Amino acid sequence: MSFEVPKVSYAGKIRKTPLGQEGNTVTVGGESCYPFHLFEGEMPCPPRIAMEVYDSEPEDWPDTALEPFADVIKDPAAWARKCIDTYGAEMIAFQLAGTDPNDKNITADEAAEITKKVSDAVDVPMIVLGCGNVDKDTDVLKAICEVCEGKNLIIGPVVEGNYRAIGATAIGYNHTVVASTPIDINLAKQLNILLGNLNVPDEKIIIDPSTGALGYGLEYCYSVMERIRMAALVQEDERLQFPILANLAREVWKTKEVKVLESEAPLLGDVKKRGILMEALTAQCVLLAGADILVMRHPEAISLVKESIKDLMTGN
Amino acid sequence: MGLSGIEIFKKLPKTNCGKCGVPTCLAFAMKLAAGQAELNACPDIPDDVKEELGEASAPPVRTVVIGTGDRAVKLGGETVLFRHEKRFESPPAFTLLLSDNMDESEITARLKKFNDTVYERVGVVLRAELVAIKAVSGDASKFGALVEKVCNETDAGLVLMNEDVDALSQAARSCSSRKPLLYAAGKDNFESMGNLAKELSCPLSVKGSNLEELSEISEKLIAMGLKDLVLDSGARTSKQVFEDQIIIRRSALLKKFKPFGFPTIVFPCEMADNLMKETMRACQMTAKYGGVIVMSEIKGHSVFPLLLASMNIFTDPQRPMAVDQKIYEIGAADESSPVLITGNFSLTYFIVSGEIDASRVPSYLLIKDTEGLSVLTAWAAGKFAADTVATFVKKSGIEEKVKHRKLVIPGYLATISGELEEELPDWEILIGPREASHLPAYLKQWSA
Amino acid sequence: MSKIICSAAIRGAHKIVGMAEEKYEEALKKWGPDQKIGFPNTTYYLPIIYGMLGIPVDTLGDVRQILDKCKELVPPPVSDNVWLPYLAPALEAGMATYFAEEIIEAILYLEQPDFYTKAEDTLPDNIWLGAADDVIMRKRGVEFVDGSAPGFAAILGAAPSNEIAAKIAIELQEKNLYVFMCADHEGKTMSEQLVEEGIQIGWPTRLVSFGPSYRAAVFAIGFATRVAMSFGGVKPGDFKGNLHYNKDRVFAFAMPLGTVTDEWYANAAGAINWGFPTIADTPIPEVLPTGICTYEHVVSNVPHDKIVARAVEVRGLKVSITKVDIPMSYGPAFEGERIRKDDLYFECGGGRTMGVELTISKDMSEVEDGKIEMIGPDLDQIKEGDKLPFAMLIEVAGRQMQSDFEPILERQIHHLVNYVQGIMHIGQRNIMWIRVGKAAVEKGFLLKHIGTAMHAKYHQDFGGIVDKVQVKIYTDEEKVKEVLELSKKVYKTRDERVEGMTDETEETYYSCTLCQSFAPSHVCIITPERVGMCGAYNWLDCKASFEINPTGPNQPIIKGECTEPVLGQWKGITDFVNKASRQKVEQISAYSLINFPMTACGCFECIATILPMCNGIMVINRDSRGMTPCGMKFTTLAGMVGGGNQTPGFLGVSKHYICSKKFLLAEGGLKRVVWLPKMLKEELAERMKPICEEMGIPNFADMIADDTIGTTEEEILPFLEEKGHPALTMDPLM
Repeated sequence: MSFEVPKVSYAGKIRKTPLGQEGNTVTVGGESCYPFHLFEGEMPCPPRIAMEVYDSEPEDWPDTALEPFADVIKDPAAWARKCIDTYGAEMIAFQLAGTDPNDKNITADEAAEITKKVSDAVDVPMIVLGCGNVDKDTDVLKAICEVCEGKNLIIGPVVEGNYRAIGATAIGYNHTVVASTPIDINLAKQLNILLGNLNVPDEKIIIDPSTGALGYGLEYCYSVMERIRMAALVQEDERLQFPILANLAREVWKTKEVKVLESEAPLLGDVKKRGILMEALTAQCVLLAGADILVMRHPEAISLVKESIKDLMTGN
Repeated sequence: MGLSGIEIFKKLPKTNCGKCGVPTCLAFAMKLAAGQAELNACPDIPDDVKEELGEASAPPVRTVVIGTGDRAVKLGGETVLFRHEKRFESPPAFTLLLSDNMDESEITARLKKFNDTVYERVGVVLRAELVAIKAVSGDASKFGALVEKVCNETDAGLVLMNEDVDALSQAARSCSSRKPLLYAAGKDNFESMGNLAKELSCPLSVKGSNLEELSEISEKLIAMGLKDLVLDSGARTSKQVFEDQIIIRRSALLKKFKPFGFPTIVFPCEMADNLMKETMRACQMTAKYGGVIVMSEIKGHSVFPLLLASMNIFTDPQRPMAVDQKIYEIGAADESSPVLITGNFSLTYFIVSGEIDASRVPSYLLIKDTEGLSVLTAWAAGKFAADTVATFVKKSGIEEKVKHRKLVIPGYLATISGELEEELPDWEILIGPREASHLPAYLKQWSA
Repeated sequence: MSKIICSAAIRGAHKIVGMAEEKYEEALKKWGPDQKIGFPNTTYYLPIIYGMLGIPVDTLGDVRQILDKCKELVPPPVSDNVWLPYLAPALEAGMATYFAEEIIEAILYLEQPDFYTKAEDTLPDNIWLGAADDVIMRKRGVEFVDGSAPGFAAILGAAPSNEIAAKIAIELQEKNLYVFMCADHEGKTMSEQLVEEGIQIGWPTRLVSFGPSYRAAVFAIGFATRVAMSFGGVKPGDFKGNLHYNKDRVFAFAMPLGTVTDEWYANAAGAINWGFPTIADTPIPEVLPTGICTYEHVVSNVPHDKIVARAVEVRGLKVSITKVDIPMSYGPAFEGERIRKDDLYFECGGGRTMGVELTISKDMSEVEDGKIEMIGPDLDQIKEGDKLPFAMLIEVAGRQMQSDFEPILERQIHHLVNYVQGIMHIGQRNIMWIRVGKAAVEKGFLLKHIGTAMHAKYHQDFGGIVDKVQVKIYTDEEKVKEVLELSKKVYKTRDERVEGMTDETEETYYSCTLCQSFAPSHVCIITPERVGMCGAYNWLDCKASFEINPTGPNQPIIKGECTEPVLGQWKGITDFVNKASRQKVEQISAYSLINFPMTACGCFECIATILPMCNGIMVINRDSRGMTPCGMKFTTLAGMVGGGNQTPGFLGVSKHYICSKKFLLAEGGLKRVVWLPKMLKEELAERMKPICEEMGIPNFADMIADDTIGTTEEEILPFLEEKGHPALTMDPLM
């Protein structure tokens, strides 16, 4: 029996999607094979990592996550700058957690002002993510679209309940949207169809099929991403041929396992290294499932993941 | 795709004798089709049929067992490329590497750590499974001594790594009853290695310098009559390991390529200069088809996340993980702490308990058996109906733990509140939030 | 299209284009061709011209080509003795009108820079706002797309009185519509009428006074055109895309109040291009058939008190209700509340009094949306503990409504009424039972509020099929009896409709892919005689679900040619399943469990499988915990057959399907069934009867073994033999 490499023939391709403004564009997507299956296809744009910055000082972060940003935690613009200058961030993911009505309930106008300030301070593509409250996000993200006109921000989460308002505003002010759906391939597809019907251009759509943390439902997201990629590449499902974003850091860093100290649970080992690996491994899994943009927090986790991407791409 | 249950059934004796351990031939046929039973369990199948069915029903990746008894580790048995297509069968065996040139006290310490590092999650025991003993010193007696030491200090399964067949033979004989994996048959020594493995009935690792060579050696070993092989393609970079693992799995599944129809062994320990990076690589191999994953060290901070990754990837996508039905105390709960109830879908439990934990309001979380279904599904299927919830609450013993009588039910199940109040007349039923993420806010304003 | 309207519109267009020509010549002389012209602060030039033709008019010199284009577009006047059907020429005349009017208005900006305020608000000495700049357009325009303002009413002229003007304006405001005002009727404008009534006008109140002339209509149409370019990504010059976008998304219409002049006709004809119909208060000819607009094109002679409602209906605008306006809290959290005896203030139905609830569909003209009538005493007129008969008759109408959807809407009453805090609802149809607690009555709750809640929720949840809802609540005994009689008739018709529906009579079946989240390749095919295996979705449910959510999990499938009548295979179904399973399932049979059985998700109510020794089939339901003759319990079986796989010999089925004439037709139908759990057999007994009789074995149910007879094939076979079960002598199953 002679050995022959069984290759998959891919009929589809992920859309190449340029993010950010002219002069500091980062392009994602473009894959013509499953993630890192470079022996049978291409990944012209390797996956990218966006570093998190928050609109207000986080309250429930473990020290591990807080420490690298301790000096800038109160100033989002400085925080973003530090991510770029000190940690080499290729993108910023601005998280508007403070706009949550159950949290600090920062108003849409305030949020727009802070976002504008951060966006003026950075020279890399910027993702702006609302708190997840459908109505509040609508107000906040619309306001942000307006004040940041032309910056091609990547704004989300755009969900079934607010896709019209945010989608149309994004078109009007020239931004890209993150279409978010709860771990279901058909819902993901449906939202993409709806955005298409709204005339959101295909190269302005990133999809977020939801992400869980390691040990907290990661497997569902992993499989949905794999299925989306399969549908997009092999089954010619055009409405799924979009780059995938995984907003994973906030999921990882709220779990018990990144917080509990070694003194309380000796078997779990060093709390800092454990936290970093929890984040890095979550990222590693979604990368292999098909994510193009990873929203991450800890600089050391990020460098582990960057190295891993490089090794998978270039062969170390 | 193998034969369907019905097709297999047609060839069975149809006696419903039950000797195979299941009541009917049809049920047995279904188990065979699902790869959950061995053909040999049926004593009455004629040989020719057995061969025909064996061929068709054998999983394309052979199940190989390393070790014995409680600590036997099953590898392989895989039937799909993607977990959503059915499920992955055998999680990888994380393996501690010890070399015979290591300091004795270091070895003792690492072995102890290996033995002690055991976790339980959702009723599943998670641990590193195997110890690999590698000959580095070139001294057969040192190697033998280390094997003996490891045998004495752990009952885990073993991987014996020694390219010197004589030395390996010596050591393997001393512990062959523990079914160690012998590493490795290369292009120059496969005959003697193969004979040794056959003689001792131990699984044997095959090592090629690339896939081509690997397939040649594997084929020859199969021809020699070896059945339990574990494949090492020789790759030692992320990219190459990734590619080789995929090609091996695909060849076995899609092409029925026998030489690659076995689990694999991979070595992140040889691919990184620090444990963090090594763990990243091990994670890659966990997702993409590594079998035995050899690590330089087993430490809590690295192996725990790896075990979680493995658990996530290897759960059955069609059968939700479930936690035990009981009272879970979160924080230092006392007699006036809130009492909440939800279903036993593991994800529900983790998320709800995580949010309660984050709220820093010590609470009792009652987990009711919903057969692993999430609350809404459970309710729709009658597994979270007021009467059964009430029975559980009464029997749970919560009434002895708290003096108040207020029970928080999931917001999505407001519909059962009235009925539940009737079933639990002493209790006041409170409607909790619909989303777990709103629990901290809810609990902070909760008062007994 | 009406010849009168066409002739007038074409006449109007000639006049307006002629005027533009004149103004242009004058201006050219005065300022020369290089003079910049345009509307203030916009990047869309003269937006209609830019949007339709893709030509940026930047200078006076650029105007020439547009005027030439106008002349090309305007057809010759209609002569009296030639009959022509004139939709297309009139529409073109309308288009030319807008181009010409934009030119005239642009020149006006040049000649009298302060003619319009160029702001969001009116000024003390000037109420005319003129063209919206880009800031206003973007701030306001997005509301058209996201639905917070569904569209606008372009009002020409003035109402007969200031009061009527105010009433119309307020009514439009209540529907969240913008009111764009222009033109005068006998020297009066609607804008002035509103100002005289003391009503605040301007962009912030959505009452926009564009200008005193009919020509200011271009600001409304130009606004819509820009919305499509800005928020719809429509490229300048893509006139088709722009017009479609507006037709589908911007719910606008023209409302001429007063004498419709030729110029008005020309503008109205132009608006039809955008899918905006005309609703007039004067008796002009009507243009009813649909075509360019979604529904009618011109509706006339509408009384002022009905004109807003009629306009909303003609444009197909959906009513959006955000809040259920009753004195009690409302929401799913109250669904499970019980009202106990001690807390009880009032109850009806449930065997205590006569009670019935009914939802029926009516013609659009027969339903007045939002009308809630209470006939008989309400809670404020009775004492605690009094009993009353009760009937609720909900009448709905909608362009997409079908009588088939009535039962689906009616089924919602139960949980929608239960959502009211302090109210308990049980049962349905004429076995309904309502209890109202004391606390609710204290807060001022009336039975009438049930109607309010139903009106709001039908609109919220079923806006796709329901346009109008009116509710009548009766506590008057005679009237209740009438509704009860009516309901009996309706139920009878409905039942007959369902019974009369067979897989042969319908050409369209439905898919359900709801479960693909956990069963990736599962596609359920739902036919009139085959309810989904979960038991929750029947054919009618799917039909309605598709109307409500056209991109959702229930899609219609034209079944196509029947290739295997006994197995239940159709070409259209095969193709669909193949595609929807992403090529995992090549063929399915609707009626067989051996040959290409349907995939199973995991939510099936029951599983059917073969019992080889008995040459029959057994069915087990989810609630049965015990062992079965096939050697597997329900949980084991479920593990074997779920997950979207095709497992020959095993099939997920609903209870309903077991009693269908199409049940496992290929294997011989119900006659093959040799074993059922006792609880399931008892549950199905009534429904099985007619089938058994039709089979010619009225006592067939007694021949089916159950778990009290045995749970192995060996145990039940003697029973089957003794009873002479027909399966034993049927063709071998395999």
